Amino acid sequence: MFRTFHKAHTGRAVFVAATLFLVTGTCGSVTLPHTSIHTVTLPNGLNACIVEDHQSPVVDVQVWYHVGSKNEVPGRTGFAHLFEHLMFDGTTNIGAEDFSDYIIRSGGIDNAYTTEDTTVFWETTPSSQLPVVLWLEADRMRNLDITQSVFNNEREVVEEERRLKFDNPPYGTVVETLYEHAYSVHPYQHMTIGSMHDLDNARIEDIKDFYDTYYVPNNATLVIVGDLDPNEAESMIQKYFGPLARGARLPANHIPQEPPQTAKRVVKLDLNVALPAFIEGYHMPADGTPDAYPLRLASNVLSEGESSRIYRRLVYDKQIALEAESTGNFTEDPNLFFVFAVLNQGRAPAEGEAEVEAELTRLKSQLVTDTELEKAKNETLRDFILSRQTVQTRGEELGYAAVVLKDANLVNTEPARFLAVTPADIQRVAQKYFVPENMTLVEVYPKNAGGGSKATGGR
Amino acid sequence: MRVQSKLRELGMGRGRLARCRGSVPLPHAGRRGEDARATAGETPAPRILALVVGIAALLGAISGMARDFPPAALPPKPLVLPSPELRVLPNGLKLVAVERHALPLVTLRLMAKSGAESDPATLPGTAQLVAALLTEGTPTRTAGQISEAIDSIGGLVDTGAGWDESYISLSVLNDHEELAFDLLSDMVMHSTFAPAEVDRKRRQTLSGLEVVRDDPDYVADTALRRLAFSGTPYGHPEDGTLAAVRRIAPEDLRAFYAAHYQPSNAVLAIVGDMHAAEAFERAEKWFGAWANQTPPSVPAASPEAGTHRILAIDKPDAVQTEIRVANFGAPRADQDYLALSIADQILGGPSENRLFKALRSHQGLTYGASSELLSYQTAGVWLCKTFTRTSETLKSLRLALEQMKQMHDHPITPQELETAQGYLIGHLALDFESSENVASHTLELLVYNLPLDSWNRFPEKIRALTTEEVWNAAGRRLAPENNIIVLVGNLSGFEKDLKKLGPVEFVPLADVDLGAQ
Repeated sequence: MFRTFHKAHTGRAVFVAATLFLVTGTCGSVTLPHTSIHTVTLPNGLNACIVEDHQSPVVDVQVWYHVGSKNEVPGRTGFAHLFEHLMFDGTTNIGAEDFSDYIIRSGGIDNAYTTEDTTVFWETTPSSQLPVVLWLEADRMRNLDITQSVFNNEREVVEEERRLKFDNPPYGTVVETLYEHAYSVHPYQHMTIGSMHDLDNARIEDIKDFYDTYYVPNNATLVIVGDLDPNEAESMIQKYFGPLARGARLPANHIPQEPPQTAKRVVKLDLNVALPAFIEGYHMPADGTPDAYPLRLASNVLSEGESSRIYRRLVYDKQIALEAESTGNFTEDPNLFFVFAVLNQGRAPAEGEAEVEAELTRLKSQLVTDTELEKAKNETLRDFILSRQTVQTRGEELGYAAVVLKDANLVNTEPARFLAVTPADIQRVAQKYFVPENMTLVEVYPKNAGGGSKATGGR
Repeated sequence: MRVQSKLRELGMGRGRLARCRGSVPLPHAGRRGEDARATAGETPAPRILALVVGIAALLGAISGMARDFPPAALPPKPLVLPSPELRVLPNGLKLVAVERHALPLVTLRLMAKSGAESDPATLPGTAQLVAALLTEGTPTRTAGQISEAIDSIGGLVDTGAGWDESYISLSVLNDHEELAFDLLSDMVMHSTFAPAEVDRKRRQTLSGLEVVRDDPDYVADTALRRLAFSGTPYGHPEDGTLAAVRRIAPEDLRAFYAAHYQPSNAVLAIVGDMHAAEAFERAEKWFGAWANQTPPSVPAASPEAGTHRILAIDKPDAVQTEIRVANFGAPRADQDYLALSIADQILGGPSENRLFKALRSHQGLTYGASSELLSYQTAGVWLCKTFTRTSETLKSLRLALEQMKQMHDHPITPQELETAQGYLIGHLALDFESSENVASHTLELLVYNLPLDSWNRFPEKIRALTTEEVWNAAGRRLAPENNIIVLVGNLSGFEKDLKKLGPVEFVPLADVDLGAQ
């Protein structure tokens, strides 16, 4: 959901690091090999990206379905994610729970996740299991078989997940509140988990239509990274996925676009928490667009590492905040860049907001220094390298580039976009996006400590 | 440190919706079995499966309803685990080098073989504060200069203190390795614990502790630890308590640092794109002058974990109840440890997970259920965890207790054994992918004085275990009368029923004592 939070996912590049050091003037002894991507498109529309990597005798398989919570309509929120759960619950060929058993028995692991834009299923196993895994994924792409009782059970599991991650933990509903107010028409307005009300109302009758629309080869991208022979992998793909029928009803993109925000929105929450907090969300452009790169580097300058500006000011120097961070939630459609802080006892959100404001103003009025920019770029490069350590993170980068950014080769070419960013670019995007009328603010007050009342304020 | 990472989680419900509790295994020093998994099923082991496949194929032929089955796997490729090279400097510092040349990355990880169990009795949280302050200043570098130096080369630093170990690790691109050795040795040998830095970190820690006091998951884990490890050095919160952290003075931190961060009590792992000979040479250059103070005291053997209790902590606004049940486990180097690892896989680990099946797959009562061996130098506890909506608290607790009793009363099946063995052995290849993992798995052996080839011999040892041996180990430990139960939730929803299980201590969340001091 928030791609940049996972360090391993921030860096999506795989690159000739020497270029960086050429640019920055540092020693040029660091190089990363080019990633050779073997691509295949089947007649039924399935895309596959295969990468050979023999570091360990393991293989990672991922199936990326281009459907997420932004494809949901009002009243049906949470359905994409609920459906993800059902994909483990049996087909006409294998029983409920068998899928993971095949993976686990070999020592592998499997899981899946749903974001606003995609639903991703992945397995990492010893490399000898590749044909088994491909067969299993092909099987559940078209042979799912769900009973009413399995459906009811899975819906309850998802409701427990909602309670666990959103309703029960302190601060659990803050981000949900932010999105609810920052968006008015675009489906990013709702969380991927969906509302409890809509989950309660999800019906098994809705499954078939969703499955036949989105879980089809022409809406899927298969990613395979690991200890394999690409030609052998390709023939396995042909064998297991080739016979699947192309889907006939992929809808045209009808997702309503969010109109520009014109005035600051403020929401105050009283929650059962010990410390005050706030989160600011600024609308920003989609991932992969030219402004996304200076914004990502701006985020590093602001809050990556203990020498970054926001950490330095709020946490270290002024000791106003326990934690303060900025990060962009970069997605396929325009999303939010946010800054949040959990404040120390006795501090008011307004104090923290003023300090953040001062840092954003500085970013707008003064160019970042070359040293600071170089630092941000080095951190980006490091994340790219770290993400190449495992086949699963490599697969993730490749799938993301292919499906969300629509160009698998960006794993090779995207770093150049970061390297090209100048101090003036960062100043420009800061001036453009970090303005009050583009911002939604959620302030959190500990209950019984004054402040707002439950969700007052609004757009 | 736990409080900080907890905050990241809380701050604020971020992260994608991965399907399982815990989602993707993180590249850090996780012990085996911590990887959460999505589902665990009625695992027909290969042999049985083959039988079923045969029968089903026949049925298919008769009825005309053809079922398809997955193809056979390819022949397995051999897994060659990295063989670490070991060297000891004259001052006693152990060096471990693991060469990995695929990426231009070097990870240095220095570990002191003392963690939160070595906290002074009245000052829980000391080990973690010491670790957190390693990056905050030496006589020649201020905190700002250290972070600037690390960030500007794109380095990644991490410090922490768990049980039986404290560590600081620094990963850099391999053209900055000299600076990495320089910085790391400076922080390990010369940290100053300046009062201003201590105050700053203290304030952060206190705020963190205030926040997690409202987090049911944290409260449940911490209260359980206190009861299950009572009378051992492992019974306090590793993050400390509000009262203790307020009291810890710079002298206390310096005393801990002097006693435990010394070469004879430390191991330095150098993993990555660097030749072993060069790694040893640099280590000698930068750590050769590190002198020993007094040898740290060896922790005494601990009594077995505490006895039967039920503690119910009231959080009236909770919509879910956190459930914990603990019983006896084993220290990490105990001869039963591997047999228990198998039993743990079957009870609540990735590979079989009877708990998951009973609570989630069959009843939809929870999003996650698992078990875990908390195995340390001198003590060990076996822990089961789950959570459920308030109304299903008793039903879920009963199901979990039933699974534990089942494991105590009856042997595991050969199929379960085979599945668990298959998982543990096959998973090694995945577990040794990243440099961080290679380093932490190797260091784990040194912390617990296990042979350096333990991971290489792990498959044959696991394969040799029998259902009888596993049951012997598990059955000796899960007697229901020794269960320690902790619940955190809205008591009014299950209080009455809970009393049927025996005497219960009820405590409001605000009054719960998470650590005596």
